[in-house]
Amino acid sequence: MDFAIFLVQLLNGLQYGLLLFLIASGLTLVFGVMGILNLAHGSMYMVGAYLVWYFFQLTDQFLLSALISAALALGLGVLIEKTLIHRLYKRNHLDQVLLTIGMIFVFNALQSILWGDDPLGVPVPELLSGSIHLTELVEYPVYRLFVAALCLLLAGALYLVINRTRIGMLIRAGESNREMVECLGVNINQLYTLVFGAGVMLAALAGVVAAPMISIVPGMGEHVLITCFVVVVIGGMGSIKGAFVAALLVGVVDTFASVLVPGVSSMIVYILMAVILLIKPEGLFSSQK
Amino acid sequence: MFFLKKAENWFVWIFFPLALLLPLFLEQNEFYVNKLTSVVIFAMFVMSLDYLVGRCGMITLGHSMFYGLGGYLFIMIAPEYEAVNFWVYTFYICVIAALIALVVGVIVLRTSGIYMIMITLAIAQMCFYFFSDSVEFGGNDGLFIFTKPDTSLFGLSFFNLDDPMHFYYFCLLSLFNCLVFWKVVTGSRFGRIMEAVKDNPARTTALGYNVFLFRLISYCMASALAAYAGYLFALQYGYVNPSMMSWQTSGTALVMSILGGMGSLYGAILGTVVYEGLHYTFEHLTQHWLLLMGSMIIAMVMLFKSGLAGVIDNLVERRK
Repeated sequence: MDFAIFLVQLLNGLQYGLLLFLIASGLTLVFGVMGILNLAHGSMYMVGAYLVWYFFQLTDQFLLSALISAALALGLGVLIEKTLIHRLYKRNHLDQVLLTIGMIFVFNALQSILWGDDPLGVPVPELLSGSIHLTELVEYPVYRLFVAALCLLLAGALYLVINRTRIGMLIRAGESNREMVECLGVNINQLYTLVFGAGVMLAALAGVVAAPMISIVPGMGEHVLITCFVVVVIGGMGSIKGAFVAALLVGVVDTFASVLVPGVSSMIVYILMAVILLIKPEGLFSSQK
Repeated sequence: MFFLKKAENWFVWIFFPLALLLPLFLEQNEFYVNKLTSVVIFAMFVMSLDYLVGRCGMITLGHSMFYGLGGYLFIMIAPEYEAVNFWVYTFYICVIAALIALVVGVIVLRTSGIYMIMITLAIAQMCFYFFSDSVEFGGNDGLFIFTKPDTSLFGLSFFNLDDPMHFYYFCLLSLFNCLVFWKVVTGSRFGRIMEAVKDNPARTTALGYNVFLFRLISYCMASALAAYAGYLFALQYGYVNPSMMSWQTSGTALVMSILGGMGSLYGAILGTVVYEGLHYTFEHLTQHWLLLMGSMIIAMVMLFKSGLAGVIDNLVERRK
C-alpha cells in the first residue's frame, strides 16, 4: 500500500468515524443522562436521510432541506419523549428495549409506506461537488472533507455546550445524581425532553449529511445502530469523550480492515469490541462508578 | 406438582390440551402443522432465554448463536449420507453446545448488564459472519441436511421425523419437558440460590456461594437447550442458515420473552404464540404489517407492566 492510498483510506476512516460519533453521541448522551436504552436511535439516522431526500425533491436546495429535516427531527424527538419515553423512566431496561424495538418496526413501516422500498439518492451539493488533489494522481472529494469538518465542528460545539454552559452543567449533574438535581428545583422533565430531542436531531443530522455519500435504502438504520452500540460500549456507556475516541477507532479499523483483510472485515469491529471489553470490561472511558 | 402458581396451572391445562387437539383439525393442511411446529420449537428457544434473562439476570443478545449452532453442529459431526441415531446426536449436540457455552461463558460472565449484552452480541456476530462468509458451510445460503436421523430407541421406532404430525407432537412433548425441566431447576436449591444471585450478587457471595459458578452452570444449561431447539428447527425444514444466528433472531426472542412476562417461563410460550399469531394475522391483512406489529408492541409495553403472564396472573387472582 503506497502512501497516497494509505492517506485516502485514513481520511475515509476518520470521516466515517466522525459520522459514527455524531450518531453515537446522541445514543450515549441519552443513556448517560436518562438511563434510556434507545434501540430506535438508528431509525432516526434513517429518518434524517429520507427527510432530506424528500425535501430536496421539493425544494432543490440541499442546505434548506437539511435545515428543515434537522428541525423536524428535533420536533419528532420531543414528540416521542413527551408521548412515549417519559412514561418509561421508572420501568426497567427491558421494557425500554421492547418499546424501542416497537418503534423501529413503526419507523420502518412508515418509511416503506411514505417513500417506498427503492434505493434513493441525493446529489452532492454543487458548491462541494469538486475534489482536491492529494498527490498528482490521487483525488479526494471535497464533500467528504466537508462532512468530516462539520462533524468535528459539531463535536467541538457539543464539548463546549456540555462543559461550559449552564445546560451542560445540568446535564452533567443529571448524569451523576438525578434525584439531587430535582431536589435543587431543576425541572428535570424539561431537561430530559431537551436531551432526547437533541440526541434524535444529531442522529438525523448524521443521516442528512451522509445522504449524498450513500444510497438511501430500507434497513440502513439497523446496520448503523449495531455499529453505534459497538462504539458506545467501547467508549464506555455515557461517556461523550469515550464515544469520540471509540468512533474514530472503529471508523479507521473498519476501513483499513476492508482493504487489508477483506475476508474477515465484517468480523473485525466485533473482535475489536470483544478484545477491549476483555481488557477493560467497562469500556475505555466509563463514566459509571 | 411443578406448577404451583394458579395462573401457571391454568395456562398449562388450557394450552397443552388445545395444542394437542389443534392439529387434528388441520390434518389436511400440512402448511399449518409446520407453522405450529416452528412456533413450538421457537418457544423452547425463547424459554431458555427467559430463564437466563428473567431468572438469572443475565441479559444476552447472543443467544441465537447457540440456536444456530444446534443446526450447524449436526452438519459438522454427522456423516452426510448416513442416517445416524437421533437420540445419540441430540446428546452430542447438547453436550458440545454446553462445552462451547462453558468457554464463551468464562469470557462473557466477567461482565454484566449492558456490557454483557454487547459482548454476547459481539461473539454471536463473529460466529454469524464466520458461517455466512465461509464457503465450506454454504455461506449465506446455508446447507441442506440430506439424511434425517433415525429415531429408533433400543431398536424400537416410535415416530417418523418426516411425518409433520409426528414431528409436531414430538416437539410439543419436548416443549412440555423443557417447561418441566426449567420448573424443576428454578424450584430446586440451585434455582433458589440463582434467584439470590440475581437479586444481590454481593450478598450471595458473602453467604459463601461461588456466584460465577452458578451463573456459568445456568448459562451452559440454557445454551444446551437453545442448541436443542435449533437442532429441531434444522431437522424440521432440513436445512441450516446463518440467519438463525443473526442478532435479529436474538432480538425477536427477547421481545417474545418480555411480551410474555420476563422470568415466568410459561410466559415464553405465551409470548411466542401471541407474537407469531399477530405476525401471521397482520402479514395476511396488509403488506405493511410492521406498522401494526410495532404499534401493538408499543401499546402492550404501555399497558402491561409485567407482560402477558402478568395480565393472566391478575385475572386469575381476582377470580379468587
